[in-house]
Amino acid sequence: MCGIVGYIGYRQAAPVLLDCLKQLEYRGYDSYGVATRSDGISIYKKKGNVSNILPDASALQGICGIGHTRWATHGIPSDINAHPHLDCKGRIVVVHNGIIENYAVLKRDLISRGHTFRSETDTEVIPHLLEDAYEGNLLEAMSRIVEKLEGSYAILAISEDDNCIVAARNQSPLVLGIGDNELFAASDITPLLEYTNRVIYLEDGDIAEIHPDTHMIYQGSIIQDRQVQEIQWTPDTVQKGGFAHFMLKEIYEQPDVINRAIHSLTPQSLPSFFRDTRSITVVACGSSYHAGFIFRYLIESTCGIPVRVELGSEYKYNSIPFGDLIIGISQSGETADTLSAIKKGNCNNVPTIAITNVLNSTITRHADATILMQAGPEISVAATKSFIAQLGILLQVVNLLSGNACDAILSHAGFAIKKVLQLELGEAVHLCSSANHIFFVGRGSFYPVMMEGALKMKEISYIHAEAYAAGEIKHGPFSLLSSETPVVAICMPGPAYAVMLGNLKEMKARGTPIIAIGSKDDTELYELVDVLIPLEVEHLYLQILTSTVILQLLAYHTATNLGREIDKPRNLAKSVTVE
Amino acid sequence: MTVQAVILAAGEGTRLRPLTQNRPKALIPVGNRPILEHLVDSLLKCGIRDIIVVVGYRKEQVMQHLIRLPVQVRVVEQKDQLGTGHALFCARDLISDDLLVLPGDNYVDPLSLKELLQISNSMLITTHIHPSNFGVVQIEDGLVKGIIEKPAHANRMTVSCGVYYLKHAFLADMTEFNLTDAINTIISKGNPIAAVYALEWQDAIYPWDLLSMNSRLLRQTSSSRAGTISAGAIIEGVVSIGRGSVIGPHCVIRGPTVIGDDCVISSNVVINPDTSIGSRVVIEPFSVLGDSLVMDDCIIASHSTVTSAVMGEACTLGEHTIIKPGSGIIEMGDEAVRSSCGVIMGNGVVSSPMIIYENSIVGNDCQIDGNNGPLRLRSKVIPDHTRVM
Repeated sequence: MCGIVGYIGYRQAAPVLLDCLKQLEYRGYDSYGVATRSDGISIYKKKGNVSNILPDASALQGICGIGHTRWATHGIPSDINAHPHLDCKGRIVVVHNGIIENYAVLKRDLISRGHTFRSETDTEVIPHLLEDAYEGNLLEAMSRIVEKLEGSYAILAISEDDNCIVAARNQSPLVLGIGDNELFAASDITPLLEYTNRVIYLEDGDIAEIHPDTHMIYQGSIIQDRQVQEIQWTPDTVQKGGFAHFMLKEIYEQPDVINRAIHSLTPQSLPSFFRDTRSITVVACGSSYHAGFIFRYLIESTCGIPVRVELGSEYKYNSIPFGDLIIGISQSGETADTLSAIKKGNCNNVPTIAITNVLNSTITRHADATILMQAGPEISVAATKSFIAQLGILLQVVNLLSGNACDAILSHAGFAIKKVLQLELGEAVHLCSSANHIFFVGRGSFYPVMMEGALKMKEISYIHAEAYAAGEIKHGPFSLLSSETPVVAICMPGPAYAVMLGNLKEMKARGTPIIAIGSKDDTELYELVDVLIPLEVEHLYLQILTSTVILQLLAYHTATNLGREIDKPRNLAKSVTVE
Repeated sequence: MTVQAVILAAGEGTRLRPLTQNRPKALIPVGNRPILEHLVDSLLKCGIRDIIVVVGYRKEQVMQHLIRLPVQVRVVEQKDQLGTGHALFCARDLISDDLLVLPGDNYVDPLSLKELLQISNSMLITTHIHPSNFGVVQIEDGLVKGIIEKPAHANRMTVSCGVYYLKHAFLADMTEFNLTDAINTIISKGNPIAAVYALEWQDAIYPWDLLSMNSRLLRQTSSSRAGTISAGAIIEGVVSIGRGSVIGPHCVIRGPTVIGDDCVISSNVVINPDTSIGSRVVIEPFSVLGDSLVMDDCIIASHSTVTSAVMGEACTLGEHTIIKPGSGIIEMGDEAVRSSCGVIMGNGVVSSPMIIYENSIVGNDCQIDGNNGPLRLRSKVIPDHTRVM
């Protein structure tokens, strides 16, 4: 997975491209590069973050260029493997996002015909193929070579002789941004917002020729007329605005996000599939999987609809799409594994619903119905507000299916989150910061909440954190508990309270430090545990939301305490568009 | 020449408690928008786009609001709230030009600012009937001779609005923690500071001042209609209704009034002028509201009368609640103050049916329980988290 960007217009291309690439870094950030066209093609590429090292702009002249920020899939991150890639003569240059699956065959063939490859990437076959096919028109060359490519790609190419950018897309996202006498192309709209709010989403199989004032989109040889869409996100919404990290900013946006998510779904807009389904399968990855898991606990107990929650990457190994309805949850709408599950549903005539944050993302085009979570762009790799938005949507689904029983409770969700944002977590953070292993335990619907808490902790603080259902602790992990391994537990008054308290006492007997989220009036718990994070005793739905936010803050503050890079944790990327 | 504006929004505003317990003063919504946003609006109308905001108390909340502004502002953190001069000192690295200094929790109209910007080295002044809460200004021939901060007894009614337009050079000698002292130092060194009379300026020293600020700012709003308005509803004057709000049949709404997003105003509700209603507020049938500031997520049950009230977020009023204006002496901290309002409520107050409020202050998360019988609160101050039986 990578981010690509192209610019043609009246400004110097290199600074614009670098600016855009910075905004795209969440798609990958192990290396980056730009190429511009003036008299010839100039290239600059480098391993590392875009923000870290900036090239000398005077070496990159020209008002037309392409750029790339890479997330290595084929070939290690290095200066050579960074995009853009050139053909043998250095006349055609290409950036690419996706995977060319048949690149090995193509590469062997090209080498036998005398081409020299410089990198280990799959992408490099594209410029060489273009070089062979080039007969004076880059667009024609592109339309000839895409037939040979198998796999997913969003490609931008420029050549020394053509005053345009040529784009091609298949199963990887690509949008065009229309400015005044300038045009942009990018993997998504975030980098474009600063320049324009008018965009065109390209479809699979599209090839486009981009000039400063016009653009032509072809499917095969037929010109396509695609609608220009106006984007409501303002550029400000994607900037940090004084917060130390995007993650913290996004955590603080959650009161608004939850209110918007809940109100976005009304009895009228609820997809009708929900009304008569007898069972539901939720397919998702990462945080979204945990949201699905919480959904399962709630809907099974309130509506009696059996739910299966599946990991996107594992779903393909279960050959029968079981259930009357498949819900795919993906923040970006581009998660490859979740997408393939939706497609599998399509093939088996099972209705599919996508829950996503990105309008017009790939998943929305494959699912029968889409629910937008309206969280706004999320830059931090660790999902926070998108997770809360997913929960908001799913809680509202449960509420609508159970006769709007919880309208009044859900309308206070934002306020409840606002209150916990003011909690002081110093002691708990101190305890977590010095640990090498942390266990997160919960019961009932708090178990998946803890899974999410553990995920956040390991994602950004790099501390080994593991979530267990409290009852499972005694089936193994108990042997790992010691005074060195803090346990984070949720022990709220409710049906599981007595058992949970018993579990905690057993752990305490092994000298384990315990951080508990519990009622502020619970003196027994207060005396038992090392740190009590007080939570108000509210409706279960609100407790799920507020405890999630507490765990996010705990992970965030622990990670800042340890000096970690919060928004871009090592080895991780925001949306995983490869399987 | 460009002008930079520095907005000082780091303070808490302790005298506005319980409203500032959970949010800084600059973020109290008046006319459904934080005071800070009204101020930024005024700056934009004067063509000032280079805005620096000094944040401190509950800074995340302030930054969260700033992101949503139509202009990009820069944020500086003041770690310890040592005073206004120190707040300005924190921002010194970003200041490169003549600067306009404004407190983030006062409202100033754009015309006064334009007037102020005509003369470099000037400050805004106004008259106030209680000058002892402000810096009292001595003026001779349109020039300021000195400022006395919060004097015990004041003869003169002319006070400083805390808005200064200063040459960049003065920032270099700024050593005092207090901005007033710094200005006095500048004057004592022989630099004249001109006094400009403010046309419209408003500060909220005490929570009931918010009501008059509310009615003043509501006069600047314009009508807008989103949401669903039932055909039988009567809407007069300048009324703004947000997205997703529902106005039931036979409601009477008189402007100036603003209603936020996703509210439910049930049938036969009367809303009188000078009322701000936040988002997701539910008002049940046959209730009457007027001259009030109701923040997000409140629920007002049926047959209630709410006048001159400031209600924090997520308050719940039971049926037949009566809030009526009154005045009297109440104790705030260690001072006795003459107040006049219906009620000032913090966040999350739950009040049972048939409670009568007059000139009272109710803290955050209080529970007022009259055992379903009438209970009368007159000139009472109830601290946070109290349960009144």
